[in-house]
Amino acid sequence: MTTLGWISLLGSVGFVVGLTAWCYKRVLTLPPEDA
Amino acid sequence: MTKHTEQWASRLGVILAVAGSAVGLGNFLRFPGQAAANGGGAFLIPYFCALLLLGIPIGWCEWTMGRYGGLKGFHSAPAILGVIGKGRVARYLGVIGVLIPLCVYFYYVFIESWCLGYCIKFLTGGIGIDVGAPIAEQAKASGDFYTSYTGQTGDGALFDGTHSVLWFWLITIALNTWFVYRGLSKGIEAFCKWAMPAMAVCAVVVLIRVLTLGTPDANFPERNVVNGLGFMWNPDFGALWNPQTWMAAAGQIFFSLSVGFGVIINYASYLRRRDDVVLSGLTASATNELFEVGFGGMITLPAAFIFLGASMTIGGTFGLGFNTLPIVFAHMPLGNVVAAVWFFMLFLAAITSSLSMLQPVKAFFSEALGVSNAGATVITTAISLVGCGFVMWFSGGGVALGTIDDWVGTFLIVVLAAVQVICFAWVFGARRGLAEAHRGAQMRIPGFIRFILLFVAPAYLLFTIGWFCVKTLPGWWSAATANTVAVMSLGLVGAVVLLLVICTAIGEKRWRAEGLDLDGREGLPDEEEGSVRR
Repeated sequence: MTTLGWISLLGSVGFVVGLTAWCYKRVLTLPPEDA
Repeated sequence: MTKHTEQWASRLGVILAVAGSAVGLGNFLRFPGQAAANGGGAFLIPYFCALLLLGIPIGWCEWTMGRYGGLKGFHSAPAILGVIGKGRVARYLGVIGVLIPLCVYFYYVFIESWCLGYCIKFLTGGIGIDVGAPIAEQAKASGDFYTSYTGQTGDGALFDGTHSVLWFWLITIALNTWFVYRGLSKGIEAFCKWAMPAMAVCAVVVLIRVLTLGTPDANFPERNVVNGLGFMWNPDFGALWNPQTWMAAAGQIFFSLSVGFGVIINYASYLRRRDDVVLSGLTASATNELFEVGFGGMITLPAAFIFLGASMTIGGTFGLGFNTLPIVFAHMPLGNVVAAVWFFMLFLAAITSSLSMLQPVKAFFSEALGVSNAGATVITTAISLVGCGFVMWFSGGGVALGTIDDWVGTFLIVVLAAVQVICFAWVFGARRGLAEAHRGAQMRIPGFIRFILLFVAPAYLLFTIGWFCVKTLPGWWSAATANTVAVMSLGLVGAVVLLLVICTAIGEKRWRAEGLDLDGREGLPDEEEGSVRR
């Protein structure tokens, strides 16, 4: 595994994990839906 | 007209249902193969460009069109595209949005039953691979099992009374039918809210097992976890100069996110007037990416490399999933348990996708023919049983499955996406469409997305269609016309098209008689009031 391989792996996985966490944090902290 | 009272019970439910539709076998089996063959870690650069510039924006279009059509009282792709595309041409092109999920279901549910069958096989002792035998014999044993189990030895082979996969297929069909009959919130949503977290837990279990394998065979010290990850992720930046890499990346994003499938447009049609579509669409896409990059990119190829080396790790989706990985699991400590968890996860990924194929079809028959939920479920199930029966009887060499997958599950998806983007950006109007997307939105769509939707996405899609027509379709056509089963498969697709067109014509008359705005001539009462919630 090269240094660039580690950068690719950590950058890509970090991006999708971060994006997913940010989205769900927004979704789950929204006020309750109107009936 | 039958009144559609179905609605999502929660915003998390619709997000997980759309994400469940998108996450399928391709996330775990197709993506790693595409990445490794197109530059490894470097592939992720065009991949993320395609995600941000094509996948997510087109997904927002579908969410917005679906919700808009739902507010007009429609839930099927033909009716909704008729409203967005303002007329009959778009409405009949929208038939593709029912054709794709229906025809893909014909074979997808069969593959789904393989996953369930493999899961049970590994729980009860495995598929008969002798790990002491030379690797070539293990590969042959795995391949022979797969060929026999899936009936590829010959047409009608599955019906000789010895194939347990038939029982798993019946269970799978019954589960799908039951959940769709239960309805949107009590069936699909309730199942996805359970299945998606369960899928994530299964994926984490398998991921931990793979990452803790170390160097399992002292005779091959180079076959270790770090080198396995390197095989998948070491970048070859030279691949970025090859246009094929960029096309492959966009294609992977496209098929992975379920855009152009007729599913999102149907699911979003059950949203309420001020339900958010922007954050929801982004969250569903992000969830799909987590499974694809985070799990698919870390599990499949590294595991195969660790036990088999580089020579046996690349294969097609089915080759990797059902030939190579069973050998890997046979070598792995606690392999049968890990394999059972893996195939159960694939089964969950498949069933959340197949449910999303049935719902648009059911909604179409319900609103076109004016039948009840039970009636539409019966019609949908009856047609799908005919199609599934065809694919399973003509299982020899996987010709029927492959033909329908090529023509409908690959080519028509791009066609439908092009129809949708052009209707949204050029007929409905990109500015009006984005204003509609912002109604009740929890975040703002960046301004440059309008340019993407007007020019970049249509150009990419039309170029891809042209490329297909020149480079690929002639070969497909020659192969299809040289094989009787392939011709019959295309005949089946043609018969389904005819049926759907007739039903659309019937629906068109009914909707017009009921005074519905089926050509999208009138806006919604407060259409100019779209705003972003803070």
